[in-house]
Amino acid sequence: MNISIHDMIWAIINFLVLVVILNKFLYKPLLGMLDARKQQIQNRLDEADAERSEAAKMKDEYSRQMQNAKEEAREIIGKAARLAEESKSGIIQDAKDEAAQIMKKAREEIGLEKEKAKAELRNEVASLAVMAAGKVLERSLQVQDHEKMIREFVQKAGDVS
Amino acid sequence: MFFATPAYAAEAAEHGAEHSQALFSIFGLQVSSVVTTMWGLMVLIILFSYLATKRMNKVPESRLQNFLEFVLESILELLTPIMGDEKLAKRYFPLLASFFILILASNYAGLLPGAGHLPGLQAPTSTLSVTAGFAVVVFFATHYYGLKTKGIKYFKHFVQPFPFLLPLNIIEEFVRPLSLSLRLYGNVFGEEMVVASLFALIPLFLPIPMMLLGILFGLVQAFVFTMLATLYISMATAEQH
Repeated sequence: MNISIHDMIWAIINFLVLVVILNKFLYKPLLGMLDARKQQIQNRLDEADAERSEAAKMKDEYSRQMQNAKEEAREIIGKAARLAEESKSGIIQDAKDEAAQIMKKAREEIGLEKEKAKAELRNEVASLAVMAAGKVLERSLQVQDHEKMIREFVQKAGDVS
Repeated sequence: MFFATPAYAAEAAEHGAEHSQALFSIFGLQVSSVVTTMWGLMVLIILFSYLATKRMNKVPESRLQNFLEFVLESILELLTPIMGDEKLAKRYFPLLASFFILILASNYAGLLPGAGHLPGLQAPTSTLSVTAGFAVVVFFATHYYGLKTKGIKYFKHFVQPFPFLLPLNIIEEFVRPLSLSLRLYGNVFGEEMVVASLFALIPLFLPIPMMLLGILFGLVQAFVFTMLATLYISMATAEQH
């Protein structure tokens, strides 16, 4: 076997030169870029993850708030219904009371009127009776003397009626 | 020619090409066809690298950038399991990836038409001189990184597991570059010899299957050389032996 020392030295020099040049023009820029890209992708993925978990948290929060709001609304509606029920019965009670009062007053008035009418009727009947009695007896009685007697009679008649 | 088969000898004589002959010399160093081929390959590799990284984009748009990203990432993925972790693999990446790229290109240069016959064009890895040069780099790099990582404790591995194995361990250190260079040279040279012989028999179509295999062999040999170099450096720099 025959080795050319010149070729061998050239091979070593060429190789070392290639290492230096490729390191500058290929390996460093390209591997650096690959690292940067990897880092960037990793960062984006991390960000996405963080955002996703944040979104999930917010969703939970919102659904919780929604739940609360619903419950609150239900409570408010229930309270309002109860209140309405209460005021309804109150109003009805008031109206009933008022109606009863009006009826009572009306009854009282009617009673009074009745009494008044009765008294008037009694007076009327008394004078009519006097007149009738006078005619029957064909004698003019002294009104003053007999009025008392007639009034008693009418009183009795009124009590009977 | 070192291993001149009859067919190849006839071929060489026909073309009158004497491959390891010096074309010219620089600073007293003779420049032969393998050296000029290596230069050509280096210019191409550097040109592609420059073009690919000139307008680099995080979202790769150029095919060249895509391709080189694929190549470098594949190499890194091969080195990482041997070195243990990606940080270590990246530390020795420039050296090891350059071996892979230059050896692969050199192997494939032998498939170019006229390679080995035209002056100034010969697969660099088809001569033992070049593969020995590469192996010498591996040899020194291994011990340099070993010493740099472990300091004086690096020499302990020569007397392990038993001190009486010292001579064997030392021989092993020298057998490694020898096996590295001979394996690479033998495979590439042998493949070229077969192609040349088949070409001498029937120039048309017959060499094609062997050339297709040459594409595979070229890749495998570049791969094997790089893996072994990685393994040697990994063993030399590992914390526990």
